[in-house]
Amino acid sequence: MLEPVMFTGGVYKHDLVIELVEDLGGYLLQKNVTQSEVILLLLVPAEDLRILEDLTKELRGELTRAPLAGTEVAVVTPTLAIHHLPHTACDIAEYLRRNGAKSNMIGLARGVGREIAQINEYETALINEHDAAVFIFGNFVKCIIKKEELYKGVNIPVVVTGGPEIPKGEMPYAFEYVSSVGRIAHRSKKANEIGNLDRIVAAVGRALDKMRADIEKDPLTTSPPRVMDVVREQVPDIERSYSPLPIALNLNGCRIKLPYDEYHDAIGNVMFDEGVMLKEIARILPSRMKNYTLVRILPESETGMVF
Amino acid sequence: MDPLEVYRVEAPGEEFGAAKYREIILDILQDLGLVRSIGRLYVYIDMERPYFAVYGLLRGSLPPLRVGDVADVVRTQEGYQIKVNEEEHLADMLRVLWEKYGRDRVEQPDRDLLTIASDVSPADLIVTDVDAEFRRDLTDALIRIAPEGFRNRRNEMTEDSFLFIASEETITPELIEEVREKIRGMENA
Repeated sequence: MLEPVMFTGGVYKHDLVIELVEDLGGYLLQKNVTQSEVILLLLVPAEDLRILEDLTKELRGELTRAPLAGTEVAVVTPTLAIHHLPHTACDIAEYLRRNGAKSNMIGLARGVGREIAQINEYETALINEHDAAVFIFGNFVKCIIKKEELYKGVNIPVVVTGGPEIPKGEMPYAFEYVSSVGRIAHRSKKANEIGNLDRIVAAVGRALDKMRADIEKDPLTTSPPRVMDVVREQVPDIERSYSPLPIALNLNGCRIKLPYDEYHDAIGNVMFDEGVMLKEIARILPSRMKNYTLVRILPESETGMVF
Repeated sequence: MDPLEVYRVEAPGEEFGAAKYREIILDILQDLGLVRSIGRLYVYIDMERPYFAVYGLLRGSLPPLRVGDVADVVRTQEGYQIKVNEEEHLADMLRVLWEKYGRDRVEQPDRDLLTIASDVSPADLIVTDVDAEFRRDLTDALIRIAPEGFRNRRNEMTEDSFLFIASEETITPELIEEVREKIRGMENA
């Protein structure tokens, strides 16, 4: 069982942490260096967490659990206009990020209004590439209920946020509804506003747990961090990707930020120690995000093996 | 405490929305520094139709700013000398002076000093129309305040009041009359 944690500390000697995690059989998901500070997102075997804690203490760093690490969450607003951004949407996206998720902000082209709100096939498909989605709506009950049309076609769990209290029965297509957020024209800084962000993170956590439980019923042939590791090793061009996170993990695969047309063969031919090629146990697809490559690992029932 | 004398927001069936919009409107007006120029504000939101209406009374209009208001004008041998006191208006003032006297007759020997080679006093030239600027800002604020999907808008501004209606559907004369009726009801309440 791998435990998702976040290490925050000085740049000095932080490579000791990375080395230790690799020795323990864990994975480095993301490394962010901001001037003299470094933030590492790590997956560490739960039974060895103690050792990492000791090293962190020695380096005067900080180790926190990041329950959403290794997942991608879409933060969807009706548009990218000043009415919806920056306050609510950025606060939520940033808060998800602090809890370890990779959050992507998506503004719909025509998501505004009550009667005229719509979403197109491309947007739906893009949202479906994530592990969970947060839809940010406004302050009016009738609008929030009516805007169900926007996420009806989305087949990942959708957490809806809005202002008023609405009974769950009114929104059958939402995984959960978090109230008292709505449209806000200032940054969240009061205790109750931060509390609301915590509730959103908790709801997203539950949505991801549901996804994990669904996957558990028919386990994946191999784990996404393992795919990330071999791709990093055998497709060296990934190091030249300008993206801050060249390989973004999902619960059922990963998004590799290299052009699909040029690299899908190289990625598919990546070889595991077990003598299996990636294309035999996963589908390599073009991503809806830019021209990236999407890897979806097949479950045991399709490949007949787990490693 | 509300900085406005009277401030009412009504949204039948959407009590939460009404309370929240109260905050949003105040936040935006404060951001744009418009609160002090508005005396009373009535907001009526109908989510059944749906439409969004704001009616406000303004606190007297401001006279346009003249060169004499923001600078000291002194008669000299060659013409006039202007000592600028409020630098934020310098750019506007230069533009006006160039227009009136031509570029070659306006000189700026120092950062806050202008000289004009002319016998006509510049003291009464209008630098900026503060009132027109305020109205532009107010329109911008109203567009920001109204829910984004309400793309059909009508904005009536008079000397001392404004009425703004935004809706998803076409705004008909009957709708405008209905809004006026609702606002009158709120004023008398």
